[in-house]
Amino acid sequence: MSDFAGMEELLQDFLLESTELLSDVDNKLVELEKRPNDRALLNDIFRGFHTIKGGAGFLNVAPMVTICHRTENLFDKLRNSELGLSSELMDVILDATGAVRDMFTVLSQGLPPPNPDPAMLAALDAALAGNLAAVKAPAAAPAAPVVQVQAPAPTPAANSNEPNWEALHQAVTGTEQHVAAVNAPAAAPVDMAAAATMVVESAPAELIPAAHVPAAVVPAAPKPQNKPAPSTGGPISGQENTIRIDTVRLDQVLNLSGEIGLTKNRLTTLRTEILQGNMETNTLRSLDEAISQLDLLVSDLQNAVMKTRMQPIGRLFQKYPRLARDLARQLGKEVELVITGEETELDKTMIEDLNDPLVHLVRNAVDHGVESAEERIAMGKKPQSLIELTAEQVGDHIVIEITDDGKGMNPEVLRRKAIAKGLIDAETANALDEKQCLQLIFLPGFSTKDQISSVSGRGVGMDVVRTNIQKLNGRIDINSIQGEGTRISISLPLTLAILPVLVVRACNQPFAVPLAMVREIIPIDTTAIQEVSGRPTIVVRDEILPLKTLSGLLNWQPTQKPNFGVLMQSAEKSFILAVDSFVGRDDVVIKPLQNIRPKGVAGATLSGDGSVVLVLDMEDLLAGQMDSSANGSIMLRNADNFSY
Amino acid sequence: MADKNLRFLVVDDFSTMRRIVRNLLKELGFTNVDEAEDGQVALHKLKTQHFDFIVSDWNMPNMTGIELLRAVRADAQLKHLPFLMITAEAKRENIIEAATAGASGYIVKPFTAATLEEKMNKIFQNLNK
Repeated sequence: MSDFAGMEELLQDFLLESTELLSDVDNKLVELEKRPNDRALLNDIFRGFHTIKGGAGFLNVAPMVTICHRTENLFDKLRNSELGLSSELMDVILDATGAVRDMFTVLSQGLPPPNPDPAMLAALDAALAGNLAAVKAPAAAPAAPVVQVQAPAPTPAANSNEPNWEALHQAVTGTEQHVAAVNAPAAAPVDMAAAATMVVESAPAELIPAAHVPAAVVPAAPKPQNKPAPSTGGPISGQENTIRIDTVRLDQVLNLSGEIGLTKNRLTTLRTEILQGNMETNTLRSLDEAISQLDLLVSDLQNAVMKTRMQPIGRLFQKYPRLARDLARQLGKEVELVITGEETELDKTMIEDLNDPLVHLVRNAVDHGVESAEERIAMGKKPQSLIELTAEQVGDHIVIEITDDGKGMNPEVLRRKAIAKGLIDAETANALDEKQCLQLIFLPGFSTKDQISSVSGRGVGMDVVRTNIQKLNGRIDINSIQGEGTRISISLPLTLAILPVLVVRACNQPFAVPLAMVREIIPIDTTAIQEVSGRPTIVVRDEILPLKTLSGLLNWQPTQKPNFGVLMQSAEKSFILAVDSFVGRDDVVIKPLQNIRPKGVAGATLSGDGSVVLVLDMEDLLAGQMDSSANGSIMLRNADNFSY
Repeated sequence: MADKNLRFLVVDDFSTMRRIVRNLLKELGFTNVDEAEDGQVALHKLKTQHFDFIVSDWNMPNMTGIELLRAVRADAQLKHLPFLMITAEAKRENIIEAATAGASGYIVKPFTAATLEEKMNKIFQNLNK
């Protein structure tokens, strides 16, 4: 049991289960701050650490056992009212939780975790002994015995792993096996002292009396090479490659594949009949039925398989109350994070990719969104601010909203800021309405905080958030009312496996464009094309939009003059994509192209008639458009040579 | 040596731990193992199915190991079943409590297959006395 060899699977299970357990503990800790005397909570947290310790023991992860053991003991004292909870104690506990989480990360990389930070262990020990500088003096008496037993008094039962069960059993129950009503209490008090020593005994030998700790330990503390990269910050879940699936869902997949097998058999029989020349109406009707059934079954199977990948978003959300709490504490704000809709389900890969953007949004809400208690009181608001994080399924989309009751955003301030930072020119800025001004925060390099804090405000935030959301084929929107708060809504498709597209034609070939980016379709009237600083544009409802031909973007030779424009809402701005004609809307499964990667092509898919349709990656396609009057427009002028 | 077809019920709220115990039992040749995630589920299984041996964790939600033990010993149908209690603590009062409630044995986490075997053999010996 000295190595992880042969235990990888077990380790994976342990990490998966314990990480969930620890997140749960984290949330309960945040709850506990509100209701410090809640016995049920204290018990649950105690059991959480106890369980993790048990598993870690089997996996021989001694450092984790060390931390969990102390934390567990701390909660044992808390639930027995031998200690009182203070915010200092809470910080010690949260540190310990963080350390355990870091160890999970190290373990998930197959490495043995480093020894726990001695300073943290010392703090835990001090807390256990009731000596933590500002720990509220407990009922005084209970703390005393623990301190005194710290002198490792060797007791006869020193071998704590091997209690003499036989002797005990006989002593207590007599030699007979059946349950006897023995008067145990008589024996118990004698053993209490011994039991108290055991707590200390089973702790590792490096235990140092609390009083000596700070001086003795600090020099040993820095061991950077052993630590997991701290720069990544926050909880790192790592990419999990195992998934837990409700057996009901798995059975459904099994059932459906069985049904499909039966239908296939039916089709085979029918094929034989037809090949033998049996073309009777009945046979053809059966064929029709079998194919309709197959149709239904396949789409059911697709759904069922998709469902196996669906996970409740609560797994992600449950990390945030702690995040908000820590940050609020650091900033001296009072914040409550209320979560609803954690049972909403989303594709597993999306859940993982959503973490970073959501962490950023939660941090932003706490840091920029809400005011300090003093400011709030001055404005006649409750001192405690409220941040709501909600998720719900709306049609075939998942909508995640994060709403704060803070100061809201001032469009004018944003406008001035964007100009001052040189992100947009004054002329463009003045043309923006209030709603568009709010969108400015998504520009790269935009940050409204004048002072860079360690928390946020490094200007790498919202543009990355938006890019990440768009990678998931999602949209992000802002609403803000000054003085009342801000709401950020994210809308995501249920899954990435199936992409709704608009199929268009250009250069005699079909192309698929992600439907999420399509705002509307307009006919292109050549007389409506205006040149603005050498670039063709069309004015649509007072909005000046650049016109780019698909053939131009692809650098292909146009075969005809484009008839239609697709109004695309892309990351940076809106534009009109000029295409020859339309095929229609479709739901496709993207197949990646092997070995070749043409610019602007995300992959390929098959249309109903069996022809290959290239699926376009608009971001990539536009990436080459850095120089403002790129090929698209030139090509359009070339296209002018085509006569109608 | 004990019959390898003995049917075990492993009770623990932590599925990793159930798997560990199951693996250890497998190492010892016992493959007929079922699991329960707490005392309540275990008791229900015990009442509706046949088992020969209970291995239970102590600290669990809903119904703890010691509560399960008491319930088992109070049930005329089940009270003869060998009951091995697993716990992370080697606290004296816990051991006494388990013994008083009628546990057949007591094992402290973490343990190896060899320790488990030793404990089980003692229990089998006592049974055959």
